[in-house]
Amino acid sequence: MAERASGDGTGPRIEIDKDEVRRDLMKLVLTIVELLRQLMERQAIRRVEQGDLTEQEEEDLGTSLMLLAEAMDELTEQFGLTPADLNLDLGPLGPLLPRDR
Amino acid sequence: MTEPESFELTPRATSLFGDEEVALVDLLDRLLAGGVVLVGDLTISLAGVDLVRISLRALITSIAPVERPGTRGGTQRSGAAASEAVTARAERADRELEPGDG
Amino acid sequence: MSDTLTYVYAVARDVDDAALDGLRGIGGRPVRVVTVGRLAAVVSDADRAEFEERALEERLEDLEWLAATARAHHHVVDTLGRGHLLAPLALATVYFDDDRVRAVLTDSRETFDGVLDRLAGRAEFGLKVYARRGGRGATAGRERAASGAEYLRRRRQALREGDTALDEAREAAAEVDTAVTALAVASRTHRLQDATLSGTSEPMVLNRAHLVPVERAGELAALVDTLAEHPRIRVEVTGPWVPYSFAQTQQAQQDQP
Repeated sequence: MAERASGDGTGPRIEIDKDEVRRDLMKLVLTIVELLRQLMERQAIRRVEQGDLTEQEEEDLGTSLMLLAEAMDELTEQFGLTPADLNLDLGPLGPLLPRDR
Repeated sequence: MTEPESFELTPRATSLFGDEEVALVDLLDRLLAGGVVLVGDLTISLAGVDLVRISLRALITSIAPVERPGTRGGTQRSGAAASEAVTARAERADRELEPGDG
Repeated sequence: MSDTLTYVYAVARDVDDAALDGLRGIGGRPVRVVTVGRLAAVVSDADRAEFEERALEERLEDLEWLAATARAHHHVVDTLGRGHLLAPLALATVYFDDDRVRAVLTDSRETFDGVLDRLAGRAEFGLKVYARRGGRGATAGRERAASGAEYLRRRRQALREGDTALDEAREAAAEVDTAVTALAVASRTHRLQDATLSGTSEPMVLNRAHLVPVERAGELAALVDTLAEHPRIRVEVTGPWVPYSFAQTQQAQQDQP
């Protein structure tokens, strides 16, 4: 943030670094999306292992998850974030995401 | 030759492992769960204080309180109440954690 | 009633007064000793308001206060510990005044002597082990999966390998710890460290403290050197510490032969 005197006499104005705010917000959003993605992925794998799904369902689910993972990769790269950035440690509740993806 | 009554720790500058900085976590491991435990005059010494709980509270207090819509009886839950709820969950979790002493 | 208390850092044997020159503790207060025979309680004045029980509980949740107090406390213990035999006390042990400290020293003389005798000629070393990150590893840079089903198969494999890697790291850590335990006269397990506080992203799999005779410290260093390139784990040793983790009186029964 930077302060700058306004030319029109209304006093100093504070400039918010828009990029920084956007980045922080995206980090939070992407963390949550990543959590959901991982949960869905694990759930899908479990159902495949249990033989719950038809071949078509398995195929569709897998493709959706793959596309989602690729979208996540693109977004995180776009905002200059690493996988380690997308995490929250809740102390005794453990990290929000398992550390090894 | 070292006497049995005293000993020289390797001076920090030529410390065996070259580390100058003592990490706070390592220090807290030792200061909160170590040392001779005596009952002081005003406080029970801090042996056994749960470091994990401290870190969770520190984390919670750094998160801005959030207004939540009422869930029971339509009452509004304030940020403080929400924070307390998380703390209560954490304290339950604390009690379930195994002590670290070997 | 006085508004200062006597804060006790440690109990030492045969303290050299010159070592106290210019030594400052909590709140920048000068450090001094209260002696009974050869035993010396290392103390300084502290503000009563800071250490009353209720105030203290709140302060424990204030990481900044805790960090500052811990470092000030450690500075005193560590500085004196270089040239003196010293039993550190748990953080924030306070008494009303020096006379009370003198009484405690007198009453607990045998206890302190026992602890000091056990710590003589020994130093504490911390053994911390982290699992190296596998990450996306083998799958990174590979071609896109040919089908949704294949993608799921790959992910299943990757998750399995991740779990295995952590187990293998734990096993490796246990082996290293066994070797270090053999050098030590006493060992103790600490809780795995909270990642928010330690700031690491690799999962910690071991956190142990070992009381090692000073003359065997070189063997410990050599052992750790051989582990620098271990594929599964990253080994970190801290120390030498004044033996905080081995000053409890009940430890006496748990020491290794």
